[in-house]
Order: sequence, then structure tokens, then C-alpha cells
Amino acid sequence: MLARIVRIAVVVALLGLTVTLALAFRRDPHDIKTGTILKPAPTFTLQRLDGSGEVSLADLSGKVVVVNFFASWCLPCTQENPALVRVYERYRGSDVVLLGVNLQESRENGLAYVKRMGMGWATLADDDGRVALSYGVFGPPETFFIGPDGVIAGRHIGPIDEDTLVNAIETLRARAVR
Amino acid sequence: MNGRIVIAVALLALAAALVFAARPHEATADERIDQITTELRCPVCQGLSVKDSTSETARQMRDLVTQRVREGRSNAEIQAEFRAAYGDWILLSPPVASWSGLVWLVPIAAVGAGLVLVTGRLRGPDAPPPAQPSAVDVAALRDRVAREEAAEG
Repeated sequence: MLARIVRIAVVVALLGLTVTLALAFRRDPHDIKTGTILKPAPTFTLQRLDGSGEVSLADLSGKVVVVNFFASWCLPCTQENPALVRVYERYRGSDVVLLGVNLQESRENGLAYVKRMGMGWATLADDDGRVALSYGVFGPPETFFIGPDGVIAGRHIGPIDEDTLVNAIETLRARAVR
Repeated sequence: MNGRIVIAVALLALAAALVFAARPHEATADERIDQITTELRCPVCQGLSVKDSTSETARQMRDLVTQRVREGRSNAEIQAEFRAAYGDWILLSPPVASWSGLVWLVPIAAVGAGLVLVTGRLRGPDAPPPAQPSAVDVAALRDRVAREEAAEG
């Protein structure tokens, strides 16, 4: 009787392991739902890379905010930049705000990269990495989508493309209208 | 007599030294920083703690831990800050009281199940009493023995 129970337990455990692995392999590695997702976005106030003042997330309440963490030494950041430029031009002057957060390099290097890559949106200096740590950033590039309610609705790890950006932004805009 | 007193004093001094050395003491700030950063995973490394990693991210995390310790935050509060951002993944040893705690519990449960199985096998079900030979069987056996003895001479 006891051996039978143990045999059943082993079968159940193996089934559980199979289901867990199947679910794990189905997940999109760019869509990691740990930590800050679906929670209020950590607030921050950072200086602009060009030294022309500060930007505070609190001042952008009610808007869709896309926060992109980048660095000039990060090759995937260079690869995703054209998509960011197009999306910035598409939503320029609207209720969508794109913020670039530069990390783990000097402001001079960051600013030179911003100018070279034609990044017209606000680019900020996260000198001590505290903002990146509060968002649970693994490394650049990473992009966070913050809804008008100030909650982080989504996160993309790695280089992002235009469709992903637009879909996420439009989803948040539609939710705001409802 | 004097020798005994000296030995007794020496033993007392030794005991006092042991008690003094083993007394619970409050960890210094540096010890706490080491302890916390040893338990935190470096997000950009392969299985390295924040304490052991030389990456820029780990350095920034160490700086943050140092600042929080100086601010008087407890170890649990500092850990909670990193867990809020990265989830339980940021801890090199997942806490038992969470889903990731299954990492600890499943092997223990598996060993327990194995022990139960082995114990059950070793004891086994009570063996049925051997069947008594019938009178016919006994007669046949006696007949066979008698024949074999006769054959051997």
C-alpha cells in the first residue's frame, strides 16, 4: 500500500516537473515578470546628460512613459536605436514621453553617443546606477513601459523593435482612454 | 596543593577565554556589508555574488548596500529593497517561504519518500506461514529416501 502511494507520488512529481519545464520553455525570455512589473514605477529625478536641468518622473504623471536604459558601449543599444528614433518622431508632442537613461559610463561618453545617434528625446544620467537598480535592470538595453497611472505595465530586456514599442504604447494609450 | 590551585586557575582562565570568544557580538558595519553582499546575486554574472564580482553593476550594488547600512537599515530591509526590484532571483539562496523555496523542499521530500519506500521494501509484507506437507507428500518423501538409501547400499 505504502509503496503504491510512493509510486503515485513519484509519477505526480515527474508530471509536475514536465509541466513546469514545458511552461518555462514557452516563456519569452524578453518578458521577465519579476520585481517591478505591475507595481508603481520607482520615482526618480535625474539630471539631463547635457546638463540643461533635471527630469522628474513625478512630473510626467498621466502620460505614457517609455524608459529606455542604454549605454554607448552596448552594441544592442546601437542596434535598437533606429527603432527608438522612429517611435520618438511618431509620438513627438503627444501624450507619450520617451526617456533615455544612460548608465555605467561618463556623461561625456553618453552625450557624445546621444549626439552621434540622433537621440532627440530627454537623455538622463544615472551616475550611480541607483535608478537602474531600483527598476531591477540586468543590463542595457532594457525598456520599461509606464502607464498614465504610474504603474509599470511591461518590460523588454534586450534590443527592442518598432512593432514591440508601438504595440506596447498603443495598448497603454487605449487603456488610458477607457 | 599549589600545583592544583594553579591548574584550577588555568582551567578557569581557559573557560573564561572560551566564553568570551564565543559570546554573541554585534556585527560591525563591514561584516554586515560582507554578509549582505555575499547573499546577493550579481545580475550580470554567472552565479557570482555581489561581493565576489568585479563588475560595475556589482560595485554599484555594494555602494548601495554600504549606504543603506550606514543609514541604519536592517539586513532584511536591504534585502527587501533588492527583492522588490529583482524578485527572489536576486538571492543566491532562495528563501524557504516562497515558490523558489521548492528548490530546498523538493530534494528533502524526495529523500523522505525514498526512505519510506526502502523501509517498506525491507520490512516487506508478512510472509505466509509455510504450508504443512500432506500425509501423501510425507509418505512419498520417505519412500524416496528409503529407495536412495537402498541404492547406495
